[in-house]
Amino acid sequence: MQEVEGLLDILYLITIRGLSTTLALTLISLAFGFVVGTALALMRVYGPFELQLIAKGYEKIFRGIPLLVLLFIFGAALLGWFMWAGSVIAALFVAAVFALALRSAAYQSELFRGSILSVDVGQMMAARSIGMTEMQATRHIILPQAFRLSLPGWTNEYAVVIKDSSLASAIGVTEMLYQAQAFTNTYPALFLGIILVISIIYFIFTYPITKYVGESMTAKLRQLGLGGGKQ
Amino acid sequence: MLIVGIIIGFGIGYFTPSLVASDDYDVIKARGSIIVGTNTNWPPFEIFNTTSNQIEGFDIDLAELVADYLNVTTQWIDMDFDNLIGACQAGTIDMIASATFITAARCAVLQPLTWYIRTNEVVVTKANSTLVIDELADLVGLDVGVQTGTVEDEELSDITNMEATLTRYPVVETMFQALDTGTLDAIYVDEPIVGLYSTVYSVKIIFTVTAPPTAFYIRYGSDRLSAAINSAIAEGFADGTVDALIAKWFG
Repeated sequence: MQEVEGLLDILYLITIRGLSTTLALTLISLAFGFVVGTALALMRVYGPFELQLIAKGYEKIFRGIPLLVLLFIFGAALLGWFMWAGSVIAALFVAAVFALALRSAAYQSELFRGSILSVDVGQMMAARSIGMTEMQATRHIILPQAFRLSLPGWTNEYAVVIKDSSLASAIGVTEMLYQAQAFTNTYPALFLGIILVISIIYFIFTYPITKYVGESMTAKLRQLGLGGGKQ
Repeated sequence: MLIVGIIIGFGIGYFTPSLVASDDYDVIKARGSIIVGTNTNWPPFEIFNTTSNQIEGFDIDLAELVADYLNVTTQWIDMDFDNLIGACQAGTIDMIASATFITAARCAVLQPLTWYIRTNEVVVTKANSTLVIDELADLVGLDVGVQTGTVEDEELSDITNMEATLTRYPVVETMFQALDTGTLDAIYVDEPIVGLYSTVYSVKIIFTVTAPPTAFYIRYGSDRLSAAINSAIAEGFADGTVDALIAKWFG
């Protein structure tokens, strides 16, 4: 058996090996989820009946399947789809991103749909009356306001995705929880310490975002007279 | 419509590989690597070495030996033990190398290769436990832990009235934790893995069962692949490499 390292060494190794993968999983999934989610939200608000139906169906399906099941579908059963990534390790990463992004897109779409609807309908009329096309009005008038309104909710989605990225360890993506489990297998005596350590790391990467981006944005919106609650 | 479309899409995606796939042997040769599935919480068969940041173990070395014989490289996937069989059937992995016992249920869906080691299954309790059993059926009524999908799981599931107090764990580590904190009265595992945990927890073996032999598994349908892997293992036994590996990992 190997020499038992200190908890600090373990913290260091888990961080340098696992954290980058966890953050990459989170940020890439959020980015893809953002693009797809925005498209779905626009489809639901402005699209013709058929597109609304597709967007609705998509949301229902991907909000109805647990992420772990999605990961098993893409990462264990259909990994062959992702073998274009080159190696198995890359394919597993892509499969995990795919599952996280599809799920996140469904939730982000709901989020953006709500904020698009909360922009006053008069703004669209005003933009149309000065000669903008519906596309221009959406891009320059509606979406910038809608995204600002959705920012507090979106930090919540970030918090969900970064924590759910830990589920990717079940299909063998070497992210932070996988590294932590490897260490607990080697040093069973340090089980509690290692689990506490990664809890703290996840917390450090969640709390400041929800606190400073989420809450300060809520306060700012309230100053602008947007959003309810106690004054 | 959408749901039907998705089902059809998934269906086509699922079946297409099996329609166009040629012999697994050719696929592996063409790819230049064999994809092997394992579950790394089963020392000394397979464990993630935190110092070298790589997986290692007896099964790992043996699979590397097989890959050398086939003249390809190995690519490893580390997944939950109970997903291995499904992943191999679906074609995600070419071979299972995860201290997998030969059982009738597994042979019905996957092809076992030549067996390479035989170990014991043991019932483990805390060192200060006074529990004594003469057969596995004596465990009925006690809180017992097993790893999900293992042969130990199957054996205990077959005992009547066992189900109510049987807890299945996906990870061995948490099972030993539960034993140590007193949540479980006993756990039923492979003997070799008790070695590591007995250095941390004060546990003792109270009952031993001879386990079925251990083998690698592949999909049915490629006689050339099974023949090649069997020859690789047979050759390893003939020139003493496998015995050297056994000495290296099991001391």
